[in-house]
Amino acid sequence: MKKWISLAALATVVVATASGCGSNSNDNGNTSATNANNSASTNGGTEASSSEPVELTFWGDWGGEGQKQFETMVDAFNKSQDKIRVKYVLQQDMITKFLTAATSGGSPDILFWDRWRTSLYAPKNVLHPVDEFMAKDGLNKDDFYGEALKELSYQDKLYGLPLTVDARALFYNKKILTDAGVNQPPTTWDELEQAAIKTTKWNGNKLEVAGFSLGDNGLFNMYLQQAGGQMMSEDGTKTNFNNDQGKAVLEYWDRMLNQDKVYKVGFEQGLGEGTDAFVTGKLAMQYTGPWMLSTYKKYGKDLDFGIVPPPAGPNGDKGSVMGGFGLVIPEGSKHQAEAWEFIKWWTANKDNALLWAKTSLNIPGFKPALEDPFFKDDPFWKPFLDTLEFAKIRPAHPGYSVMEGDALIPNLQLFQQSKQSLEDTLKKAQQRGDQLLNDNAEVK
Amino acid sequence: MASIGKLNRHQARTAYLFITPTMLLFLAFTIVPVVMALYLSFTNYDVVSRMDFVGIDNYKRLIDDALFWQTFKNVCYYAVIFIPLNILISLLLALLLNFKRFGVKLFRTMNYLPTLTSAVAAATVWIWLLHPEFGLINNLLSYFGVIGPAWLAQTETAMFSIIMVTLWQSVGSNMVIYIAGLQGVPDYLYESAKLDGATALDRFRYITWPQLRPTTFLVSTMSIIGALQLFDQAFVLTQGGPGNVTKTPVYLIYQQGFNQLQMGYASAQAFILAIAILIFSFINMRATKSEESIV
Repeated sequence: MKKWISLAALATVVVATASGCGSNSNDNGNTSATNANNSASTNGGTEASSSEPVELTFWGDWGGEGQKQFETMVDAFNKSQDKIRVKYVLQQDMITKFLTAATSGGSPDILFWDRWRTSLYAPKNVLHPVDEFMAKDGLNKDDFYGEALKELSYQDKLYGLPLTVDARALFYNKKILTDAGVNQPPTTWDELEQAAIKTTKWNGNKLEVAGFSLGDNGLFNMYLQQAGGQMMSEDGTKTNFNNDQGKAVLEYWDRMLNQDKVYKVGFEQGLGEGTDAFVTGKLAMQYTGPWMLSTYKKYGKDLDFGIVPPPAGPNGDKGSVMGGFGLVIPEGSKHQAEAWEFIKWWTANKDNALLWAKTSLNIPGFKPALEDPFFKDDPFWKPFLDTLEFAKIRPAHPGYSVMEGDALIPNLQLFQQSKQSLEDTLKKAQQRGDQLLNDNAEVK
Repeated sequence: MASIGKLNRHQARTAYLFITPTMLLFLAFTIVPVVMALYLSFTNYDVVSRMDFVGIDNYKRLIDDALFWQTFKNVCYYAVIFIPLNILISLLLALLLNFKRFGVKLFRTMNYLPTLTSAVAAATVWIWLLHPEFGLINNLLSYFGVIGPAWLAQTETAMFSIIMVTLWQSVGSNMVIYIAGLQGVPDYLYESAKLDGATALDRFRYITWPQLRPTTFLVSTMSIIGALQLFDQAFVLTQGGPGNVTKTPVYLIYQQGFNQLQMGYASAQAFILAIAILIFSFINMRATKSEESIV
């Protein structure tokens, strides 16, 4: 029997490695092709005289609809000129593959980039700064969302341009709110709490309609800003939520969850598209982002919903967390100038940014594109644009996501289920969080 | 070796020739990576820019890493409940389905089916079944007037739910192993026991169970390894939550290595895990004493 197991294990390993090799050899194929083109273009002169266009590889991890949207943009770019040919390559597990590609050659020329990763990767010199390109082409940094640029920067160097920006706002079901006698969507914490109490429906011990979703503890950052706090200390090395602002957030949550009972832990867990609690009328209000718009719009009249910027906290502070993607140039790319041309065409041109927005239903990071009626006159986009005015990025610390995921959220969960007192929760999250930040601080 | 005759030596040479390809693969894909990982656990390797020797820093950091030890506690809790239940249920199923009756093959197949589904797909379906408000389990419970918990979201039930789902998936294959074991028990032992007046329970206690020792050893060893390496079901069902109660060592290793690029530290964690598996397998070997011949 033992032999069988080791054999089976071996077979698995061999198959896994073989498939790994397979995809690697593909990548190598691509690179050698680009190399060939590179030498061809240098021989023929780098400028327009070259007959062979430069081929660029663009890696992203969006498949399905996202892949089609990317390819629409790539095709449009390829048609717009004849010097550069871009090819989109879908990479599952892109970051892991990029790591090997960055060290062993075969690096792509353009990378679709989840912006918060910058603080972890930029210090390792695997990304190419774009400041010189920016200066050469005279691009104005004020045309982009400052926070998004900040997220793409490390030590005063900029490593790419923002492709999309997003932030969470309050989605509310108009019908449920009107039926419960709430005529205006909430603008403050108190109004939100009252509206949630009115819209919640219990049938005995069964929650039928939850007034407000408290399912995502990861939104603590957002609530903390609304309470007037910040996740990290001024110098960006320590957590900064074990204080009155953090306490205010937890008291608010505790009141909503355990006294007002507007939600039940686990209520939305595992509900996917089509069974989404908001779609099925089992949830009156929730925080979510523009990425849900296309899903919710599909339901047309069956789901009459509105969006407002997140309600302000007790002292009138507003807060939301900005996220989104960018395009970056890997240090290993052999055509950085051409890659920049592509990035500039896509992210720093009003028409193209708008084409991208309409294709993918994302908010582009290029502000002039937002002047278009497509955004200005749409009641669904307006609240997001308003929210983005004050939304802040996550702190740029390489250990931030680990701190949130392993120190803060687990303690918040224990608190929500009344397994831990408020003081203990903040204290433990702080101690553990500071330790994790410290352990993950050194990235060089 | 010297006492072996020429023919034997020739046979030995042929044998080595035959096992060479396998051994080379074993060397390339098992030995070399393990040695590399051991070396990396003493460096600050980050895949892209650095690989400096840092001595035992990674292991020092491990000692203070409360979360890492908690994940060990989590999988130990999992193992303590999962392994005995796994053996018990798959043995009972095997005993039940070992008869040569009409239709028994159908039942064997049905019991084996969960093993064939992908862990992630099955876990996704289970999320549904375990949903607190609309899930099948809580709906069934409500017929008996019981208000079911939020299985996966509550600290008390989250790990228990994962145990049940993984049990559902693993008893099928272990049942097959046990059936094979049962069919290897010689009939004459039962016959003579019957002649001596042994009851069915006695026959199980004194013949079946001891005869199945190697099988039980196999099943329990595989369960121990599987338990300590628990990852996909826990990841899909609960993402390590709530409150870290279902976070597992493999999850941490993955996160540390691929998300935080601290491959050196991740290697150190992986080594501690490997040693833990070795120790528990060794204890298990002693406990079941599989090396002793039974008959």
